[in-house]
Amino acid sequence: MQAVDSPTTRPAPPGGGTEQRAAVPRPSRRRRADARVPWLLALPTLVVLVALLAYPLYRMIVLSFQNMRLRELLTGLTPSWVGFDQYEKALTDSTFWGVVGRTAGFTVVSVILSVLAGLGVALLMRRVHPKVRLAMMIAMMFVWALPQLVAAQTFRWLTDSDFGVLNYLIDKLPGVDYANHSWFVNPWQGWSLVTVLVVWAGIPFLAISLSAGLTQVPKELLEAATVDGATSRQALRNITLPILKPLLTIVTTLSVIWNFGLFTQTWVLRDGHPEPYYQTLATYSYTQAFGQSKYSYGSAIAVITVLLMLGVMVFYIRQMFKIGEVD
Amino acid sequence: MKRKIAVAAALAATLLGTAACGSGGDDNGTASANTKVDGTGKTIKVWLMVDAQTSWKNVVEDASKRFTAATGAQVNVEYQQWANHLTKLDATLAGTDVPDVVELGNTEFSKYVFNGGFAEVNKADFENSGTWLSGLSGACELDGKTYCVPYYAGARVLVYRTDLFKAAGIADAPKTYDEFLADADKLQSGNKDSKFGAFYMPGQYWYAAMSFVKSTGGDIAKKDGDKWTGQLSQPASQQGLQRWVDAVKKYSKADVTKNENDQANIFSQGQAGMFYGNAWEQGVAEEVHKDPNDPTSPMVPTKVKGKLAAAPMPEIPSFLGGSNLGVTQKSGNKELAAQWIKYFTDSTSMSGLVKANALPNATALLDKAAADNPTIAPAALAAKQSWFPPNAEKWADVEKGNVLQTMLTDVLTGKKTVADATKWADDQINTTLNES
Repeated sequence: MQAVDSPTTRPAPPGGGTEQRAAVPRPSRRRRADARVPWLLALPTLVVLVALLAYPLYRMIVLSFQNMRLRELLTGLTPSWVGFDQYEKALTDSTFWGVVGRTAGFTVVSVILSVLAGLGVALLMRRVHPKVRLAMMIAMMFVWALPQLVAAQTFRWLTDSDFGVLNYLIDKLPGVDYANHSWFVNPWQGWSLVTVLVVWAGIPFLAISLSAGLTQVPKELLEAATVDGATSRQALRNITLPILKPLLTIVTTLSVIWNFGLFTQTWVLRDGHPEPYYQTLATYSYTQAFGQSKYSYGSAIAVITVLLMLGVMVFYIRQMFKIGEVD
Repeated sequence: MKRKIAVAAALAATLLGTAACGSGGDDNGTASANTKVDGTGKTIKVWLMVDAQTSWKNVVEDASKRFTAATGAQVNVEYQQWANHLTKLDATLAGTDVPDVVELGNTEFSKYVFNGGFAEVNKADFENSGTWLSGLSGACELDGKTYCVPYYAGARVLVYRTDLFKAAGIADAPKTYDEFLADADKLQSGNKDSKFGAFYMPGQYWYAAMSFVKSTGGDIAKKDGDKWTGQLSQPASQQGLQRWVDAVKKYSKADVTKNENDQANIFSQGQAGMFYGNAWEQGVAEEVHKDPNDPTSPMVPTKVKGKLAAAPMPEIPSFLGGSNLGVTQKSGNKELAAQWIKYFTDSTSMSGLVKANALPNATALLDKAAADNPTIAPAALAAKQSWFPPNAEKWADVEKGNVLQTMLTDVLTGKKTVADATKWADDQINTTLNES
């Protein structure tokens, strides 16, 4: 408290009881002002957040308890309230659960692959010549800077069955006939492409973040471990990874969030009309709401998606908070 | 989550307008196109699809000029893309600042007519309305009232390579389906290139597949009383579908997961002998813009320039595609809007469309069209024997739900038999069309 006191209170004669009592309200008034200022400073952000996030979210939740169809949209009639009907419809539909399973499966596979690849690239970057490291950084920045839509369009043309350069190159291999090969007939092949695209686009963020995290690993520890005869694998598992753990948790969490909401990549690769076996929660919600004018059903699916993801994330978020407390 | 919320925000933003316009649709009167209106100082907003901009912009301008001369009102035409126009239309019609005239594909119209999106028009006000093509006007009719006006049509024809036909010793276009198969055999056996397919047919081209279903007396869905029933698993339909599957498997090298959107461009690479497309696609296959991103760049010939001809597809009834025009229910200028449609669909405008290789909106004009423009003669002939998807409120949802496309791909890849796939599709169609 003393360090904060303004110089004007200091010259006050000591021992003067009245002065001391008179001085009491002053800091308390200042405290009141202190409490208001942060809110005031945060106000513009809060207004934007409420307008862009909270209100649409509120409308979406309201919508999911109604039955809004094209007629209500076009004529402005108030949609009827249907309670939990939309949720019941989704949760008892095997198609919906198929979509949930597909989305979850894709998320697990793609996140594991991208975190491993990102960590690998980050470790590699610590070992190579600084010039090579710079070249790697620049290359990854380009990948990072590429908008999802552009990257997805590029992949679509690379893998096009009639004009794609991928088929052309594979076809050049002796004894392989890949002319006019369609990559999306077999869902496993199609999903492999989607995964490659997502992992490829996800690596720069992971690798750059993790390589920044790696600079925090004290060299002395690693040197000491080497002197004590630890193999590089042991050093990685017992020194590097524990230090990286908080960062790994955060980037993994973010990857889960991003990949769970997969939309652009499948949408573009399937030319705006993904077949049932290419539907994920995001595209399914969108096609139900906008394609089939089931606005309420689409909203219910979106709400369920958010809840599902929060359910999975609770574990990670708690861990993130724990890390914060230790720090 | 970010993207999830983005979707949610878009969803909510679309609906924001709804509350603000609760009283927008109260005026339910018929929009007359013949009353004298003074439109001086007014401007009507017209949404046409991009085809009008690329192929017959002069017809649009001419009709607007005559409309302005008669009413004094100005016209503001905005061109829309097929890929996203319905989403955009939904969002716009939910608000108050709506276009007065909207063009939609004929299979898309029913949904909006059933849900009160368009105002009633007086059929007799429009020229040739007595002989409108039923494939177009079917979507406009509800309970004996008319809610839109047929605009133009396209019928699908067989486009073939005359040079390859000659090399294979085929004198003329096939007249029967058996001749078609025999010609395809000759083309296929006369070409040693493993990439060559005698008949280009992408696997999700459902308009084509359903034409084959119709050719054997099959159907997609039928209405009994209030209930729709899918007909694809009926023997006649399965027989037609099998006919299509056999032809595709034997003669087509096309991607089974693609639709027909880029078929003309693929055909112009020269690796197919025939394809089934709209009459104007012949032109697309023969000439392309030098810079595909610049619609004003000069046209350059493709590999197949001057080597193509068209004929009606023998024994296969043609799907009648096309567009209609409607006056939006929320429009503040309904009578002016109806008048503009009157000028844009009269015989003068129709002959302009015929010059641009589109089919006119009425059977009475088809013969004249065939005589005036030999290019569209096969299509005009095909249009006389044409079919149209079920006129059900929810039909557009079946299309959007990829039901038929998925069925076709599943059969072609061998994932399902024709019997299983048609049974599955019927279930989907029954659920979608009968959903309340």
